[in-house]
Amino acid sequence: MKWKKPESAGSVRVNMTPLIDMVFNLLIFFILTAQFVQLEVEQVILPPSITAINKDYTEFRNVVINIVNPENPHVVILGKTIDAEIRSGPSELTQYLKDIHDSAEGKQINVILRADADIPYEEVAKVMLATGAAQIQGWWITTEIVDLEKLKK
Amino acid sequence: MQIRKARKLESIQPPMTPMIDCTFNLLIFFLLTPSISSTEGYLTTNLPTTSGPVAGKEQKNVLRIKIELQCEGPKGEDVRIVFNDQDLGTNFDALKIALDQKRAAGLAANTPILISPDMGTRHKWVVKGFDAAVAARFTEIHFAVPYQ
Repeated sequence: MKWKKPESAGSVRVNMTPLIDMVFNLLIFFILTAQFVQLEVEQVILPPSITAINKDYTEFRNVVINIVNPENPHVVILGKTIDAEIRSGPSELTQYLKDIHDSAEGKQINVILRADADIPYEEVAKVMLATGAAQIQGWWITTEIVDLEKLKK
Repeated sequence: MQIRKARKLESIQPPMTPMIDCTFNLLIFFLLTPSISSTEGYLTTNLPTTSGPVAGKEQKNVLRIKIELQCEGPKGEDVRIVFNDQDLGTNFDALKIALDQKRAAGLAANTPILISPDMGTRHKWVVKGFDAAVAARFTEIHFAVPYQ
């Protein structure tokens, strides 16, 4: 009986160029996005919540206000510390928010509050007053979503 | 004059494998990093756009949740909850039950609720009060702020 010789497999070269192009595009996108988020968000321990939901905030103009360090609370916006202390005139924070309100051209503005869980309410109230004084209504409190089922276990 | 023939350029193939390895590692890192923030959510409400003495003006005929700071803990972290002048102790579940009972008794979802924490109350307790009101399906939740 005669055995057929197996045909020699020709070397198949996969075209890597489009794959590398795609990977680089994705890489650039994720690097830029991550940097953008990092600028606005400070490291805080968020308070847990069972009713908070992950909402799409991209359709609004948002101001992310961080209140960090429960021992010595201060307001941080885009990496910069801003004075929220209430004195005789409008606070630095009120002025900052008013400028944003004036440049919004009718677009709804939301203040997204990221306050550490142990921050005293007094500090949050100062930011609330500044937000109200700047005629901004949207008030979103950032929390950590807690799975109720996990809590019950 | 004799013109030299240009040498044939040899095709140089740089090793692509380490570069692709690095790129994939970076890609995976940046793909996974945003997932850290996906556990974050929002509790939303609207603030009154008034300032000055009107901002803290007392509202009449509102259902009131009062969260007070108890100074017994080592850092004053404990809270005592007072709901419509009824002392609920430190139990947020009791607050949720009390709010549920109000809803069951026919109180409308848009009945305004005023959360009035002491100035020293930790943010996490205020959020818990907010949580209880949202869980009882109330939609109009306000915060008391000090007079300026």
